[in-house]
Amino acid sequence: MDAQKVDMFIMSNGKFFESHQMNTIRDGLLAADDSKWAVISSTQFTDPTTSLIISILAGSLGIDRFLIGDTGMGIGKLLTCGGFGIWTIIDWFMIQNATRDKNIQKLHKVL
Amino acid sequence: MINRNKLYSIILVACFAGYIWLVFSVTKTISEKESTGVCVIKNLTNIPCPSCGTTRSVVSLTKGEFIGALNANPIGYLVAVIMLIAPVWVASDLIRGTKTLYVFYQKIETYLKRPKVAIPLILLVIINWIWNIIKGL
Repeated sequence: MDAQKVDMFIMSNGKFFESHQMNTIRDGLLAADDSKWAVISSTQFTDPTTSLIISILAGSLGIDRFLIGDTGMGIGKLLTCGGFGIWTIIDWFMIQNATRDKNIQKLHKVL
Repeated sequence: MINRNKLYSIILVACFAGYIWLVFSVTKTISEKESTGVCVIKNLTNIPCPSCGTTRSVVSLTKGEFIGALNANPIGYLVAVIMLIAPVWVASDLIRGTKTLYVFYQKIETYLKRPKVAIPLILLVIINWIWNIIKGL
């Protein structure tokens, strides 16, 4: 793929991924076929900040986990009142990384 | 995707904590009737959350009071079934070196994401929540 397109993608979507993954993403995008550009540029990623806000407000209902597509974990949190409140607090710190993980999986699926 | 061993350790830790909590609650209700609140929402806002009453429900189930369990919170039945089945399933998977529970977990996750399944379930949880508030758990 065009280096210019790749850089544009990275500039606009950088916040959705871990910084140490950027090089792999860049290499992967450069190696990808040009025909995938339409799909890649239209893929929706979840903002880690949004999931953090949801986690703080509705974490004990597991809504943050549902939001990033972790349905099983979300049900686990919902049924146990957010894991007796402990899991809720752990997720305040884990949810941003979990969101970035989900985003990179989404990108790998498209690539 | 979450990997097999991570999922299994989360399930085992959760079930272990659940059983400790269950033993604690069963022995506690004998000495004093006042229930211990661990729910953050209930303690902060005084409004019960959708799963408030699950402990009372499971405790009633251990005593064989099925209607009492249903009145406390129907989610208790689901939790009791998961707590009974999950550790056995994880143990059999670990012993045989298979990953049947992991595959089942992923299948049920994709199944639950379908709007036709998700929307009725969300409605059920909300109805249960309203019922909880009316009951004043």
